[in-house]
Amino acid sequence: MKLFKLLPVFLLVIACSPGKQESSTSDGVFPYTIHQKEFPNGLNVVTVPYESPGIASFYIVVRAGSREEVEAGKTGFAHFFEHMMFRGTDNYSKEEYSNILKAIGAGANANTWLDRTVYHMTGNAGMLDKMFEIESDRFMNLNYSVHGFKTEAGAVKGEYTKNYASPYMQLNEKTSEVAFDTHTYKHTTMGFWEDVVDMPNQYEYSLQFFDRFYRPEYATILVVGDVTPEQVNSLSEKYFGNWERGSYAPEIPVEPEQTATRFAHVQNANFPPQLSLNYKSPAFDATTKDVAALEVITQILFSQKSELYKKLVIDERKCRSLGGGIFFTRDPYLMTVRASLISADDLQFVKDEITAAIQNLIENGVDQKIMDETKSNLKYSFATNLDSSTSIAEALSYAIWVSGDPEAFNTFYQQIDNLTLEDLQENAKKYFIPEHLTISTISPAEEGGVL
Amino acid sequence: MKKQIIRLSILLILFSSYSSYSQELVELKKNKSNKIVLKYMFNTGSMMDPAGKEGLTMLTASLISDGGSAQYSKSEIDDLLYPMAASYYSSVDKEVTVFTFEVHRDFTDEFYRIIKGLLFNPAFDEKDFSRIKSNTQNYVDQIIKASSDEEYSKMALEDFLFRGTTYQHMIPGTSSGVSNLTIDDVKQQYIDYFTKDNLIIGIAGDYNDSFKNQVLEDARQLPPLVKTLPKAPQVPMPEGIQVEIIEKENALGSAIFAGFPISLTRSDDDFAALMIANSWLGEHRKSYGQLYNKIRETRSMNYGDYTYIEWYERGGRVQLPLAHVPRHSNYFSLWIRPVQIADQLKMQYEELNQVEVGHAHFALRMAIREIDMLVNNGLSQEDFELTKQFLRSYIKLFIQTTSKELGFLMDSRFYGRKDYITELDQLLEKVSLEQVNEAVKKHLQVDNMYITIVTDDSESLPLSRNLLGNKTSPMSYSNLVLEGLPEEVKSEDEEVANYKLNVKSVDIIKSEDTFK
Repeated sequence: MKLFKLLPVFLLVIACSPGKQESSTSDGVFPYTIHQKEFPNGLNVVTVPYESPGIASFYIVVRAGSREEVEAGKTGFAHFFEHMMFRGTDNYSKEEYSNILKAIGAGANANTWLDRTVYHMTGNAGMLDKMFEIESDRFMNLNYSVHGFKTEAGAVKGEYTKNYASPYMQLNEKTSEVAFDTHTYKHTTMGFWEDVVDMPNQYEYSLQFFDRFYRPEYATILVVGDVTPEQVNSLSEKYFGNWERGSYAPEIPVEPEQTATRFAHVQNANFPPQLSLNYKSPAFDATTKDVAALEVITQILFSQKSELYKKLVIDERKCRSLGGGIFFTRDPYLMTVRASLISADDLQFVKDEITAAIQNLIENGVDQKIMDETKSNLKYSFATNLDSSTSIAEALSYAIWVSGDPEAFNTFYQQIDNLTLEDLQENAKKYFIPEHLTISTISPAEEGGVL
Repeated sequence: MKKQIIRLSILLILFSSYSSYSQELVELKKNKSNKIVLKYMFNTGSMMDPAGKEGLTMLTASLISDGGSAQYSKSEIDDLLYPMAASYYSSVDKEVTVFTFEVHRDFTDEFYRIIKGLLFNPAFDEKDFSRIKSNTQNYVDQIIKASSDEEYSKMALEDFLFRGTTYQHMIPGTSSGVSNLTIDDVKQQYIDYFTKDNLIIGIAGDYNDSFKNQVLEDARQLPPLVKTLPKAPQVPMPEGIQVEIIEKENALGSAIFAGFPISLTRSDDDFAALMIANSWLGEHRKSYGQLYNKIRETRSMNYGDYTYIEWYERGGRVQLPLAHVPRHSNYFSLWIRPVQIADQLKMQYEELNQVEVGHAHFALRMAIREIDMLVNNGLSQEDFELTKQFLRSYIKLFIQTTSKELGFLMDSRFYGRKDYITELDQLLEKVSLEQVNEAVKKHLQVDNMYITIVTDDSESLPLSRNLLGNKTSPMSYSNLVLEGLPEEVKSEDEEVANYKLNVKSVDIIKSEDTFK
């Protein structure tokens, strides 16, 4: 999962100006200024000028994903709705919308995940006005036919069909379903198959969905590239100033504490055996040390540098690959260790080795040197990836959806810098709990058989 | 725009060849960048794998990039590079192998000292060999067939289209080819084909002359090229449409890939003309294409439908083209993402419980008919202008990162160009509608092609009978979609369902019999 690698290191000094405009400057690792303006309707606008001649990345982050799918039978709807956003308005039919995107020369698309839906286009910065115009039009005036709605549902089914070919997807689906009882993280972003098949019947609900979530208080506009904040703020005012604030706030079910290890299994004789250990993990919170500590711990325990990797992958060759990390999510989710094995006979052995490595860290801690090196690794990993308007926008959008604040990773990395050896031990003890674990497997056997 | 012109001019000035060395050098100086990118592109690829040793070049490259050097083991290198978060990897295609090294400028010299041994003094350790070979074998035997039916169908098409040539086998190899490989084969391949005489070096970012000179000096340690580099195979056009259906258990849909050879590459100025027509027809992962509009948006049949005039690496994952897959032997291709099979339609909709064949036949007819109409009617002036405008901006997105910009510059050399993206923009600016439509007539056709379909074992036989018999293939909509379907769509469906495909052969192959 590359998600772990997206983890940004913002070492920023925040300098707030009066009112609702803010900007931050950098002391070196993130060398670009972040400008923010919050409009009266709740819309947040973020601008990062960046030297990419003639190119701008225009993102709209909507903080609604499969997490918001609280009603039975509606799983997968946030993602489906993302598709519907390309189906036209009264002002621009879908064909006209496509033609404008073509004229902008844009790479444009959208994607949905647990906590958000992101719409993005990167194209000719000289046509920024047009980008704003067509995006505000569909975000405020989306209008599709019943037939268009039913037709698009087929494309979603097609997406599910292509994804289903992967045993990893099948395992992820089962793992979520087993690991969660009440929280909406129980279903994947694609949704349950039966709900996907039923989507064409949900036209009325789709109108409600748009009314609930496509509102300024759920959205952040993010523009990175050959632009100025004045220009972006002015266009935001012009095109999104009249966007009406909504009133809906979903009640996301709280997941009860897990009290025993759970198991998910996919039987497949034509695929290398897989093992994943999924521990319940805390929600992203930059103001506490917990997630920062787990980020460092998982890197120490499961990266290519780790003793476990050297043993299981390089020296003893029990595994073809090994990795792990924590997902940054709005609510408590999972941190995952994954291994691809050579023989299914070693599933229990590998599981025991992983848990022994965790236990060793809990009991004996780690060396100062490895902790310092890990902090350095995380910092440089982020810094060297920020070399295009798109990659900067991707990193910032992550901060925005998980926390609502593009500066959140600044605080988060201060947390990482401040971590002590004791913090690592304490948080390992706090979160690597056998009763909070779901063990997932793929093997030729009918059952996983790993305890 | 002015800024862009100045930038490109600077680039051209910086862009130089070093005639005093046998290697070529491509430079991309970026003083504001916080990193260094170093690339070694060897004119050697899977095409150089000896018969019976398919996969040798990739295993050799992997052993360099995922093994140790004479000085450091793989684990020692991982330890040393860890605080730098440096990355390095190899990529192998049919004709080139590229090693890419990236690191923050804070560590340039230290990083280079550690990694240079990988390329110039690789350990070729028996344990590393065994580990990487086992993983490659597993990829060829299991993972490619069980992870993504789309990727599987693409690899199967190359196997079909280039059959009997050095382009046929997958880059990781064949099952028996990988099985036959020895550590001595790897050592010999390294000496034969990873030489200073078939090498282009690329450096980008914030580096100084002393670093550059050291890189050039060290590369002279590589052995000289003694072997004659083989030429890429040119394959004949197939006779009629030839289909291979690969059947497997528990597939939810039919994944389709089709293609036929074309004698055109980035070297040819006509490439820009054909690129415009192709973009209009089926630009990769864009909702603007004609096929996307007809098959996905109007008929709800799948997730997307695209066409290509050159190989598009990792098309299932990336939205913009990657560097380092330059090829002399080229083909036009059609990608129809998985469509529904009969068993699934029956299960989902009671009104379709009599359906015998899923949507694959109809989708193929629809896509091929659109290509046919493009060949016969050409692009309109309006579509031509809009697509040209799109591409002239869009191609700049190919080189957004330092690594990709350097990569595309290096690939330019393969095609005898200096700077492909800049030159392409100039060609696009100049090209006329007549030239585009002439290029379409010259290079595209619908009577002869190879098609591979990966599908469920319940679908393979009825589908093969339908294809071979050129039977009518009415589109089977659910009532939900059918009730709102415009008359013009129904009427077009009638024509599509009876559109003749020049099918000459259809073979069903079991999944376990592929890539042997």
